[in-house]
Amino acid sequence: MAIIEIKNLSKTYKVYQKQEGLLASVRGLFHREHKEVHAVRDINMTVEEGEFVAFLGPNGAGKTTTLKLLSGVINPDGGTATVMGHVPWERENEYRRKFALVMGQKNQLWWDLPALESFRLNQHIYRVPKQVFEETRDTLCEMLDVTRLLGQPVRELSLGERMKMELIAALLHQPEVLFLDEPTIGLDVVAQHKIQKFLKSYQQERNNTIILTSHYMKDIEALCKRVVIIANGSIYHDGSLEDIVDRFSGDKIVTLHLAESRALDGLANLPNVIEIEAPKIKFRVERDEVGKVLSQILGAHAVDDIVVEDPPLEEVISNVFSEAEKSQEAELAARSNN
Amino acid sequence: MQPSYLKVFLTFARNSLIRDMSFRMNFVLQCLSSMSWAAMNWGLFKIIYRHTGEIGRGTGWHENEFFIFLGTVWIVNSLVQTFFMANAEEFSELIRTGNLDFALLKPIDTQFLISFPRVNWAQVSNGILGVLLIIYSMFKIYSQDPEAAEIGTAGVMSKKFSWIAIPAFLFFVGCGATVMYSVMICLASTSIWFGRNQNLYNFWFYITNFYRYPMEIYQRGGGIGMALWCTFTFVIPILVVSNIPARILAQPLGSPWKTWEWGLAAFAIVASLWSLLASRWVFRKALLSYRSASS
Amino acid sequence: MFSNAITWWTFFKISIHERLIYRADFMLGTLMRFLPTLTQIFLWWAIYDVISTPGSIDQTGGPDGDIAGYKYGDMVAYYLLVIISRAFSSMPGLTRGIANQIRSGEVKKFLIQPVDMQGCLLMQRIAHKLVYYLIATIPFALVFWLCGDFFVDGWPEWDVLIVFYCSLLLSFLLGFFLESCIGLIGFWFLEVTSLTFIYMLMTFLLSGHMFPLDLLPDSIGNFVDFLPFKYLAYFPAAVFLGKVEGAAMYQGLAVEVFWVVLFIVLSRILWWKGIKHYAGFGG
Repeated sequence: MAIIEIKNLSKTYKVYQKQEGLLASVRGLFHREHKEVHAVRDINMTVEEGEFVAFLGPNGAGKTTTLKLLSGVINPDGGTATVMGHVPWERENEYRRKFALVMGQKNQLWWDLPALESFRLNQHIYRVPKQVFEETRDTLCEMLDVTRLLGQPVRELSLGERMKMELIAALLHQPEVLFLDEPTIGLDVVAQHKIQKFLKSYQQERNNTIILTSHYMKDIEALCKRVVIIANGSIYHDGSLEDIVDRFSGDKIVTLHLAESRALDGLANLPNVIEIEAPKIKFRVERDEVGKVLSQILGAHAVDDIVVEDPPLEEVISNVFSEAEKSQEAELAARSNN
Repeated sequence: MQPSYLKVFLTFARNSLIRDMSFRMNFVLQCLSSMSWAAMNWGLFKIIYRHTGEIGRGTGWHENEFFIFLGTVWIVNSLVQTFFMANAEEFSELIRTGNLDFALLKPIDTQFLISFPRVNWAQVSNGILGVLLIIYSMFKIYSQDPEAAEIGTAGVMSKKFSWIAIPAFLFFVGCGATVMYSVMICLASTSIWFGRNQNLYNFWFYITNFYRYPMEIYQRGGGIGMALWCTFTFVIPILVVSNIPARILAQPLGSPWKTWEWGLAAFAIVASLWSLLASRWVFRKALLSYRSASS
Repeated sequence: MFSNAITWWTFFKISIHERLIYRADFMLGTLMRFLPTLTQIFLWWAIYDVISTPGSIDQTGGPDGDIAGYKYGDMVAYYLLVIISRAFSSMPGLTRGIANQIRSGEVKKFLIQPVDMQGCLLMQRIAHKLVYYLIATIPFALVFWLCGDFFVDGWPEWDVLIVFYCSLLLSFLLGFFLESCIGLIGFWFLEVTSLTFIYMLMTFLLSGHMFPLDLLPDSIGNFVDFLPFKYLAYFPAAVFLGKVEGAAMYQGLAVEVFWVVLFIVLSRILWWKGIKHYAGFGG
């Protein structure tokens, strides 16, 4: 049975319009206009146990809202969802003991106290037996290499160290399902990499189910096999990373290392050249054309080395986002015309 | 399996103490300032009693009786400020920043979790002063020779002290604190609807102003006074918070209690239960409207 | 100078907008402001009731009791006037705001951008106050109309009124710069909450917020006379009620000007010393 099941889930916010001008503000004292924002509309998906799923999408697409709905922090306007058989927004203690939500932009640790004290508080709230608590804490601290920081007030930790502590605080009760909302936001590359590594080994060891949102493709490449693209509150694509590249990028990027720089003159007028750095040239070719183009060049010039690769994921994804938004808008327009 | 509420609460108290002790200077200053606040209050009434012998003709609130009343107010205030005040303020902040999310995730009663995380130990000092003031005033009242008992307009009054008054006093102070807690939670919950509730402390101050004085001053104040008395006794029952326990110790009208005093005491018990339930209802209603500030 | 004026004007407008957003808060706040006065009215009634001859009614229509020259009507009128003084001189959140900006490092933006922190805050405060008066006029007018009977002497003479208005404006400036100074101490002490509290305490007791300063025993009263606090509440009300008259009134106004200037200078010094300390400290 699927561990997470979402059917027709929707959430609409009322957003008050701030009016321009002084008079309008005064008028706003008595009457305020608002518009409805469909943060999540009609989302359907299932997640199996042990999956590591990424939510991708531009800002305001509805990723965080979806996670909040699944955590039961907010109530939906329509549709249903179950996580491990529980309806999240009923907020049963039994459910809340089995999952965790980590938000990269918020912190739950006591600012002025050592993280250790916040951990202890969570121990009592989640009723983790002492021995289990200590073992879990020590293992996690070791994995994340923060044991020596446990006694320091949280406010004195760096952002990366704090994030690690946040993760530990969220994992102390050994949740089966884990929601991570941009856990690496604002961190430097080294810290990001460490957290990725940790999440990967943690998930492999325990086989728990994780949903992650992130803006860093590196996170997603490193961790997730399945990627769900959300735009304008709806699911636009749901599949593996390779699927996305196949579906949304028809191009390959070819880099040639020529034997003689002179040969570049003949190649500079190729369509879609990305950069030339003698004796190397990098250009974009449609996938079906790769063979043809390459055999032509190889016939005419001496080539030392050839690299054919997919375009960088960031680029593909940003194409997907803009495409997704366009198609959503078109759909909406069509809907409102009917 | 229920979480251990006691253990969680003790952890809160412990963590708060650790925090307070890491800002020791501030802690001392807070104690000092809240004690000087109390001293100022005392000074005000010292000045007033220079000009009058009683507050409200025939009410029995002479200087010593009144200072028992004042001491009671300090004790209740100190309880409120030690356990609830910082949390209510923090609650508004949690809503504004969206950090209430974390409280909602925890497998423990949300109202409990937001009500008690901060224990403001410095405010205990105020309560201690209250106890001292009460003991001093009690001593002055009850050590008087019964023959020379005060003569008010109601004639010679006899006051008898019995030890049962002390547990009764504590019990009604507890009821009072419950009422205050409930009012505070209701107020704090409004910040879910109204957005930033910057004035929470002000509102609180303004509303609780009514319970700082003996209720007789409203009862004698004509139509508006009676309306106020009814409102703050029966709708928002904050007048019973201070008046009942203070009357137990001060016996302004002598002992035994009058019938209406017994009635009001019974009402205080009902009121504290009722307001606790009301606060729970308001809190839940408010949570339904929580929309979680987007990050 | 001109560009400065434009910056300030922009800042002023933004502040008004910001203020109007939290309107529910605002309306409630205004109404609640009168509640403590209500209790004061009843408290003093209970007191005057005791000290007056039973059933007596003097020429003003109230009980005949007299405390330090205040009849019951005067006493109530005094509390109402003090609300007006405090509407000018109280600066809720100013000290804490400055201290928080220092603590969070937000103050850096004033070191980088070519705007003056105090100028901005002053604009913000004027905007807040103006919006407040805009909304508060109606409840204020209502309350004063309802309580008109307490003002047994009616309106004072025009020269007294002018001094009254001046003292109100000055009390705004005094409140602003005094509280700024306390906030700026945050450059040296990170936690100023307690300082704020002590300040609040002092203003409550020594400004005449709680009771007319005339009630104080002379020994204390003479000392309080030398402090700036009484200009935050007592002085304007006393002027209006004719408790300070003639030469003493103008002298009081002059002393108030002196205090305002002193705190302006002091706050500038604290600011310059503060940012120097801050920069040296490494922020």
